[in-house]
Amino acid sequence: MTFWPQLQSVLARWRGRLGLGLSAAIAGIVLSTMLHLPGAAQSIPQAGGETTIRNRSSQAFTLPAPNLNAFWDDRHAAGDLAFEAAFVTPPANVNPGLGPLFNGSSCVACHINNGRGLPEKGQRVVRVSQLADDDSLALPPDYVYTLEAVAATANTPPVPGLGTQVQEQGVYGYAPEAIVEVTWQTQDGQYADGTSYSLRSPRLLITRRDGTPLTEAISASNRIPLPVFGLGLLEAVPEADIVALADPGDRDGDGVSGRPNYVWNVEQQADTLGRFGWKANTPTLRQQSASAYANDMGVTNPMFPVADGYQDIGDDIIDLSTIYVQTLAVPARTAVDDPQVQRGERLFADANCTACHTPQLRTGSHKIPALVNQTIHPYTDLLLHDMGSDLADNRPDFQASGSEWRTPPLWGVGLAQTVLPYSGYLHDGRARSLEEAILWHGGEAEASKETFRQMDARDRAALVQFLKSL
Amino acid sequence: MVNKTLKLWARIGTCALVNIGAMSSALSESVTAEDTLALPSEQVSTLLSQNDACIAVPVEGGGEGGGEGDPMASGEGGEGGEGGEGGEGGEGGEAAFTTRVYLPPSQRFQDRQILTDFVDQLIVPNYEQLTDLTGSLADAIATFTANPTEANLEAARAVWLSARNSWEQSEAFAFGPAAFLGLDAELDDWPLNEADVIAVLESGDTLTPEYVDGLLTSQKGFHAIGYLLFGTDSDKTLSDFTTRDLEYLAAVAPVLDQTANDLLASWTEGIQGYPPFRSEFVNAGAGSEIYPTVQTAAEEITQGIIGILDELGNIKIGEAVAAQNPFLLESRFSHSSLANFKDNLISARNAYLGDYAAAGTEGEGLADFVAAVEPELDAEIRAKLDVAMADIEAIPGPLEKTLCDRAAQPEIIAAQESVLELLDLFQQRVLPLVQQ
Repeated sequence: MTFWPQLQSVLARWRGRLGLGLSAAIAGIVLSTMLHLPGAAQSIPQAGGETTIRNRSSQAFTLPAPNLNAFWDDRHAAGDLAFEAAFVTPPANVNPGLGPLFNGSSCVACHINNGRGLPEKGQRVVRVSQLADDDSLALPPDYVYTLEAVAATANTPPVPGLGTQVQEQGVYGYAPEAIVEVTWQTQDGQYADGTSYSLRSPRLLITRRDGTPLTEAISASNRIPLPVFGLGLLEAVPEADIVALADPGDRDGDGVSGRPNYVWNVEQQADTLGRFGWKANTPTLRQQSASAYANDMGVTNPMFPVADGYQDIGDDIIDLSTIYVQTLAVPARTAVDDPQVQRGERLFADANCTACHTPQLRTGSHKIPALVNQTIHPYTDLLLHDMGSDLADNRPDFQASGSEWRTPPLWGVGLAQTVLPYSGYLHDGRARSLEEAILWHGGEAEASKETFRQMDARDRAALVQFLKSL
Repeated sequence: MVNKTLKLWARIGTCALVNIGAMSSALSESVTAEDTLALPSEQVSTLLSQNDACIAVPVEGGGEGGGEGDPMASGEGGEGGEGGEGGEGGEGGEAAFTTRVYLPPSQRFQDRQILTDFVDQLIVPNYEQLTDLTGSLADAIATFTANPTEANLEAARAVWLSARNSWEQSEAFAFGPAAFLGLDAELDDWPLNEADVIAVLESGDTLTPEYVDGLLTSQKGFHAIGYLLFGTDSDKTLSDFTTRDLEYLAAVAPVLDQTANDLLASWTEGIQGYPPFRSEFVNAGAGSEIYPTVQTAAEEITQGIIGILDELGNIKIGEAVAAQNPFLLESRFSHSSLANFKDNLISARNAYLGDYAAAGTEGEGLADFVAAVEPELDAEIRAKLDVAMADIEAIPGPLEKTLCDRAAQPEIIAAQESVLELLDLFQQRVLPLVQQ
């Protein structure tokens, strides 16, 4: 079966395994004490500190961090079931709660193998908002759609009939909110050495269920799912360390500024630092999970209550899926002894890519011991940067402007094609290769992009080979 | 609305106590549904009292599924009495005190023939057999729906079971197009969306190919067809078939066959503009972006075996037995979940050996590599495969009836433990060998 797990027996399972887990932990301690194999572990680049695992298969993002204790290992296993559980239309014996409107029926439906997804129905999320309050978009009061349960911000007024996210699927009897069609425009360019390239960018045509086309009237952002491993580590990086990387006025004069997003934190009922999502529009993994259940799957839950108070799942399931993503292993780098990779790493730094793609961070405290005080190599500063008009979606997100994006982590980017063959890069999957992804950089990254464009083929290949080693 | 909900429940069947949470969830609707009416609790009780599924009281008393309680967040406390738990035995998770083998460079995995044979002697023959059977299934269903006789029904059911066998035997290599093109979900999404299948059956909607194309994956595929052919508890009789049942069957069977053919073609010819996945796999380390080294493809094979053994031991057997809940059994409509177990183990064995026994093909396999570098490990795996197979065959069936039978628990647990021991060997010992 494809989506085997279900939720009702999760409790039984982790309780049942606790005893087993404890003995496994003791065995593990004994084992690690006995076997101090010299040189074995040290040669593996610890991308995720002690959460690093060695695996370059399509399952590389799906493995538990190896340093979890028995308790958290068990929670991880239970969380795995929650993350894979496919919801269906109620009433049902197993996993009721889907919809009525939704984007995908399970977490893994979009995060395929826990990695990125494609910019296609069933995987992407199209975020929308009105350009300004526009009465002409109004619909009859009984028009059924999902008004997403997120803080309303003045700069993203919801679109009647869509809310702030297009649910492209519905259970029986519920037509999707809209049909989204993507066409690709191409533009040509040249490297300094004369080699030509072609880039593509999407144009969205959104047609509401009632037949009204909306593209011109609204701003729309086509976003692919992000990989979900390593996120607990990013959550554990002290806020002060992230804020310290910001340079909003570019006082060091390198052309790169960077600023934090502050976003609505549902549990704290206050604006706090955003860390997750393409525009750092989500403060915590728990809120990310709960929001995905509510908005992406139509699975109502305690963090995002609906008018009638009904909840398809409880806090327990939110906790488990959150713990699951918090405790996934980070795949180790590969081919680090390859001279071409080493050369590429130097070129990456020389081109000042590292100004935003910060190679090293250190975690602080976290409720999960495995995540505490880890030196990690995520290649992100978690800050917003203006990436120029070519990459802009022109849709603000809390304090992020229409042309600002959060630096995405690059760890594991070398596994992207293994985990999801033929997948794309950047927020809307427009880049079909790492070269194309680099060439779309603009704004604060213009100088770095230009450095790459000026490189000869050998240097470009080395830089890309470095990325593929991540 | 209440009546409609009750009727739905009557058709779906009743459920074990563990599903109180699920039921209460089910009896409401969400977000923008306007015709919502919660069912009074006494009616829930009435439904529960009809329960004829698995009457064993769940040891964990885990009925709080849909509630607001937060048992998972309550910390480590109260984990005492595991007395009746029973379902999660197995030492599979415990690391054995094995010596890790460090291979000299000359012995490291570099056998391209294993990759080629994995596709040509296993994946392709398996999918060819699958498409033969899904084609036969579409034919048998066409015959049955045109002429609904007992004989034609039995014939359709028999082919459905055979096609299931073939599909389940392919699950050790559910990577590649099965995953990234969503074909696995098209064929085998689980659980079945019974409510929406029933909604379609009860509607007057014309089941055109476009309409079927627009159905959710959880409304079609093997489990939808199994549900329609066998009923909720393998208890459907010829007289139970409605005209709509026949229409639905006739509409979705060809789609299943088409998807199976797409899956085969995705490896051999390429579909949707993608190159044949065969060329990616066999060109590992020779130009493939997906498999940049030979080792990554060998890891993929091993990880596929690990994946199916994990799913079989920890989920398909483990979850159902821990929850004592037959609704969690994969092929519960047809009472053939036990056959799925066996076929999954066969799948792991085929993937290890590089053969597709059912088609008589033979290839060089991961086993040949393991045997060359660590013959004792190969011998141990082969022995454990046999033990696990014998243990699964010893489970009294149908599991849908025996799952909650206390007398059957030792056999079920033994099979689970064997599978988990095998899993441990692949995780702890085979994977590190191919990664070097």
